Amino acid sequence: MGFAEKIQSPKDITHLEGEIPVNYLYTVGIAGERFLRELKENAKILGIRCSRCRLVHVPPRTYCEQCFERLRDWVELTSEGRIETFTICYFSADGNRLAEPEIIAAVKLNGATSAFVHRIRDANDRDIHIGTDVEAVFKEKGDRVGSFLDIAYFRPSRRVRSESH
Amino acid sequence: MGVRIKEFRGTSLREEDIRQGRVLSVSYRPKAQYLWSAGVAIGRYLAELKNGRIVGRQCDKCGRTAVPPRMFCEWCFRPNDRWIILKDSGMVNTFSVSYIAADATRITEPLIPAVIQIDGTTGAGMLHLIGQVDPKKVEFGMRVQAIWKPPQERTGSILDIKYFKPAER
Repeated sequence: MGFAEKIQSPKDITHLEGEIPVNYLYTVGIAGERFLRELKENAKILGIRCSRCRLVHVPPRTYCEQCFERLRDWVELTSEGRIETFTICYFSADGNRLAEPEIIAAVKLNGATSAFVHRIRDANDRDIHIGTDVEAVFKEKGDRVGSFLDIAYFRPSRRVRSESH
Repeated sequence: MGVRIKEFRGTSLREEDIRQGRVLSVSYRPKAQYLWSAGVAIGRYLAELKNGRIVGRQCDKCGRTAVPPRMFCEWCFRPNDRWIILKDSGMVNTFSVSYIAADATRITEPLIPAVIQIDGTTGAGMLHLIGQVDPKKVEFGMRVQAIWKPPQERTGSILDIKYFKPAER
């Protein structure tokens, strides 16, 4: 490149390529530990009740986010609940079109105050609305690793499924 | 920890607690790739380093020459005016003697990063290393001279200058 010349091609401009190493490790914490171990070992869903404001948190935490009370009152919940809200996804997280659409829903278990996000499968689109009763389908014990995805998915409860057939 | 705090509250975890699965955890590594374009000014600067010379940009309004170059004068808030070929000597504007490497390991031969104000420029300068020197003898205002890599080893990088060594006035 001559000193007096202008740069004509953008490729003449120096580029640097790199990758920033970002290693991420999240430990699930005291409440998360007990919750996930129970999912893994016994396929049971635990919540925690606030002794002051009576909120039942699922997944459990160590402090009530409503009133800041220390939480100690563990409760076992059923694996049944209802859809609070939902969306049907036709694209994956990286923007590619999915072969089969995926239903993502906020599920509130019976007896819980809070809802969590999970996926709905084994369902007809017409069965899915706000208020649909759903039940958890757990992975086989050998496949459970202590993750929230040890609940493989939720599906409309037996009653909903038999009505739509 | 301070004098009055003997231990932190909470549950301490060691690496083997995680590795042996005594606590549950999630780990992943997001791919944080980047591609940085050096731009017009730094692109020319790096290309000229490969040619074995240091170039700057001069502003007609304030008369200042900037190294590393940029295409505007941040003193006058206007585009600057011309490229200037500079000498490869200058003086130490500020420096540090570091016994810790970039990866935080301890080293016995210190690195001496310095801001070198190239002759013919005003203010600041280029960040580089000082070599061939007793660390105790480095001073503010000390005259230095660039030591270049041989031409065939240059890649268009700031490291085409190996380091600056002390020079006579």
